[in-house]
Amino acid sequence: MTTATLETPIPTKPAKQKVMLVEGNEAAALGVALARPDMVAVYPITPQSSLVEHVAKLIADGKMDADIVDAEGEHSVLSVLQGGALAGARTYTATCGPGLAFMFEPYFRTSGMRLPIVMSIVTRDGITPQSVWGGHQDAMTVREVGWVQVYCETVQEVLDTTIMAFKIAEHHDVMLPVNVCLDGNYLSYGTSRVELPNQEDVDAFMGVKDVNWHVALDPLRPMAVDPLTGGSGGKGPSTFVRYRKGQCKGMQNSLRVIEEVHAEWAQRFGRSFAPLVEEYRLDGADYAIMTLGSMTGAAKDAIDEARDAGKNVGLIKIKTFSPFPIDALLKSLDKIQALGVVDRSVGFRWNCGPMYQETMGVLYRLGRHIPSMSFIGGLAGADITTGHFHRVIEATEKLLSSPAPIEPVWLNEKD
Amino acid sequence: MGTFGGAYNTIAFDADKCDGCGDCMTACATAKVGVGDTARSRIQIAGNAADGFELALCRQCADPKCVTVCPAAALTKNYANGVIDWNGDKCVDCLLCTVGCAYAGIALDAGTGHVAKCDTCDGAPACVPACPHDALTYITTSRIYNEVGDWEDLFAPGLAGCQGCNTELLMRHTLRRTGPETVLATPPGCVPGMGSVGFNGTTGTKVPVFHPLLTNTAAMLAGVKRQYKRVGREVLALAIAGDGGASDVGFQSLSGAAERNEQILFMVVDNEGYMNTGMQRSSCTPYGAWTSTTPVGQGTGSGGMPSQGKTQDAKNLPLIMVNHRCEYVATASTAYMEDLYDKLDKAIAASKRGFAYLHVYSPCTTGWRFPTDQNMEVARKAVETNFVMLWEYNPADGLHFTRPVDDPLPVTEYLKAMGRFRHLSPDQVSHIQSKVVENLAFVKQMAHRESA
Repeated sequence: MTTATLETPIPTKPAKQKVMLVEGNEAAALGVALARPDMVAVYPITPQSSLVEHVAKLIADGKMDADIVDAEGEHSVLSVLQGGALAGARTYTATCGPGLAFMFEPYFRTSGMRLPIVMSIVTRDGITPQSVWGGHQDAMTVREVGWVQVYCETVQEVLDTTIMAFKIAEHHDVMLPVNVCLDGNYLSYGTSRVELPNQEDVDAFMGVKDVNWHVALDPLRPMAVDPLTGGSGGKGPSTFVRYRKGQCKGMQNSLRVIEEVHAEWAQRFGRSFAPLVEEYRLDGADYAIMTLGSMTGAAKDAIDEARDAGKNVGLIKIKTFSPFPIDALLKSLDKIQALGVVDRSVGFRWNCGPMYQETMGVLYRLGRHIPSMSFIGGLAGADITTGHFHRVIEATEKLLSSPAPIEPVWLNEKD
Repeated sequence: MGTFGGAYNTIAFDADKCDGCGDCMTACATAKVGVGDTARSRIQIAGNAADGFELALCRQCADPKCVTVCPAAALTKNYANGVIDWNGDKCVDCLLCTVGCAYAGIALDAGTGHVAKCDTCDGAPACVPACPHDALTYITTSRIYNEVGDWEDLFAPGLAGCQGCNTELLMRHTLRRTGPETVLATPPGCVPGMGSVGFNGTTGTKVPVFHPLLTNTAAMLAGVKRQYKRVGREVLALAIAGDGGASDVGFQSLSGAAERNEQILFMVVDNEGYMNTGMQRSSCTPYGAWTSTTPVGQGTGSGGMPSQGKTQDAKNLPLIMVNHRCEYVATASTAYMEDLYDKLDKAIAASKRGFAYLHVYSPCTTGWRFPTDQNMEVARKAVETNFVMLWEYNPADGLHFTRPVDDPLPVTEYLKAMGRFRHLSPDQVSHIQSKVVENLAFVKQMAHRESA
C-alpha cells in the first residue's frame, strides 16, 4: 500500500529543531500533540499521570486541538476512543498497571476491530504486592492480545516513537492499535535533552488521516459493526477464522511497516532508532546479553567496560516486542554462542522472564543449540545498575563452558 | 400522508358510564344547527332492551358502506383526517346512505331535508366535553399510528424476538422516530439477540449499528457522538440497552457519561433481568420474582433467606439517573404509546443538549411466564397498580407524573398475571404491596421537591 506521505518530498537535510529539557511523560505528550489526534481520553494513574496532565495543559493552552474526555475510568477511556475511531477520529490515551488491567475488556477488542488507537503504557509493576513503581509486568501481561508493542530506551525515543506510532497504526496494511511502552519512573520522570520536530515537518510525515475506511459507524455508509459470528457449522467459524488470520497478517505486516516508518523518520528528522532489534557491539562477540527498554543504557555502559576488560560480549536490544521480531532476532542470535536475557517482569508459568521465554522459541528456529539463561531485575522500580549487568555478563560468559542453570537469576534480590 | 385506510381519531363511547341524560345530543344540535333540539343531533343515544344505552353515531369507517352505496359521490372518505365528508351540492337526497350504514350514523335531518352526519367538529367534538359522566372520549392515539406509518421502518422484517415480545415494537417505533441519521448501540442482550446487529455478515438494521460491550455502551457511544460534533455533523447517538447491562456491570460507564452530560439518548428496555441469556437476576429484578438464579426451592439462598425468588428489592435506575441531573429522564411503557412518544420526542430533543435517559418497562413473556397475547395487559396492569410509575424529569421543571394513578388496583392484580410470582407467600405479597406504597410516596415527595 502506498501511503499519501510519499507524495511529500523528503527534505535532503532535516530542519533545525527546537531543543528542550523534558521528562519522558512530557516528551510523550509533545509527541502526541505533534501527531494531531482528534480525541484523547484520560484517567490518571501513577506513574502515567503527569503525561495526561501535560496533554490536558497543551489543549487548555491552545497548543493542541483535540477533544479531551476526562472519563470515569480506564475501561471507559478506551471505550470512548473506540467510538471516536469508528467515527473517524485519530485517538490517543495512556495508562499502566492496574489501569491497564481494568481496561482489559475493551483492550482485547480494540485489535479485533482493527482500530488504530495509540496508547502509551508508562510501564508499572503488577499488584499485588502493592507497588506504584516501574516494571514491565503490565505490558507483558497483555502481550498476547494483538496490539503492536514497542519499548523505548530514551526520552528522545519516546517523543519520536509516539509520533511514529500513529503512522504505524494507521498504515492500511496494519490497522492495529499500538502501545508505546516507556519505563515508569526511569523514562516517565527522567529528564533529558530532546529535539522537538517542527509541526509542519510532522504534518508532512503523517500525511492524510484515514482511520475508519475499513470499519465505521457513519450514517453516510451504514454498516453493522461486529455482528455475531455463528457457532459451529455454516460460515460462522470460517468468518471468525478470516478475522483472526487477518489480525495475524496485520501484525506480521507491521514488522515491515515499523522498519519503513523508522527509515523515513531518520531521513526526515535525522534521528535513527533500530526499529525491531538493535545490536550493540555484537560483531565479533562470543556471547551477548539481551535487554528491553531504559535498562539498555546501563547495559551498554557495562558492555563498554567489559569490552575494555577484554571480554567478547555484545548486546541485543528488543524495541518491537509485539509482534516478536523473529527474523531480525535470528540474524542477531546467529552471531553468538551464548545468551543471557534480562527481563523487568516475571513469567510465572515458565519461572523465567517473559522475553526469555519468547526468545527460547526463536532459539529453536535457529537450528543450533545456544546455551541461555534468564535474569529478572528492575522489578517494582528497582535500578538495574552497571554492577548488576556485570554479574549478568559474567554469568552468561560461563555458559560457554558450563551447563546453563534452569533457575532464573533474581538480580535485585539481595540489594 | 398516505392513502391507506389506517386508524384515525374517533369518538369512543363507554356504555357503562352513560345514564341517557342527552347532554351530548343537546351540545351537538346546538353546535351544528344552533338550537338544542336533540332530534337534530348527529349523535343519538337510545335506550336498549337491557336497560342500558346505545350509541348511534358515524364511526368514520375505514371501509364505509355509505360511500359505496351513494350514487352521487356526495360522500367521500377524507384520508387526511379519516372523516367521511358529505357534500350538499352533490347530494340528491335519495337516503340510500341511511340504509347502507349499520350504525345509524347518518340520518335525515328533518330541519334541513338533507342527511346529516358527524364531522367530529374538525377534531374538537362538542359532544365529548358536554358529557357529565365521561362516557364519551375523543381518542387521539391514532394520530401516532398515522404519523409513524409514514416514517421509514429502519429494521428488517422478521427480527427474531420471542413470540409476544414488545421490544421489537419499541425498537421499530423508536428508530422510525429518530430517523436514518442515527448511530445505534445495542449491547449484548435481547435487542441484538433478536438480530438487530445481525449474524454472519447480515444485519437487521438500516442505520449504523454495533455491539458495544455489555459494560461500555455509554462510553463508546459518547466517543462516536463527540467526533461527529467535532466535524460538525448532526448525528443522533442512541443506545437501546437492557436493564442488566445498564444497572449492573455497565453502570459505571452510564453514570460517567451522564455526569459528563454526553449528548446521547440512552434507552433502557427494562425486562427486569438478563432475559436473553437465560432469565437470570439483575439488580432491576423485583423482590420475590423467580429467575433462573433466584429459583424457587425448599432450601435457603441469598443471605440464608428461603429460596422463594429474589430476596432484595429492585434498584430504581431511573431515579438514580434523576440524581445525575440529566437533561431529561423519563419512565415509559409500551401500554401507553402516546405517553412514550411524547417522551421520546423530548428525549431526542434533550439529547442534542446533553444526556437523555428513557427507561421503558418491558414485560417479558418468556421470562415472566405469561401468555404471549398478554404483553400489553401486563404492562398496563403494572401502571394501574402503581408497581410502575410513569413520570418525567428535566432540570428546569423537576419531576412530574405523566400518568398518575390516583385509585390504583391492588398489586395482586399485577402479580397474578404472570408465573414468576406464582409461588409468593402472603408475607411476600404484602412486602411488595408495602413497597409499592413506599415507592409511590417517595416519588411523590421527589415530584413535590423537584417542582418547588
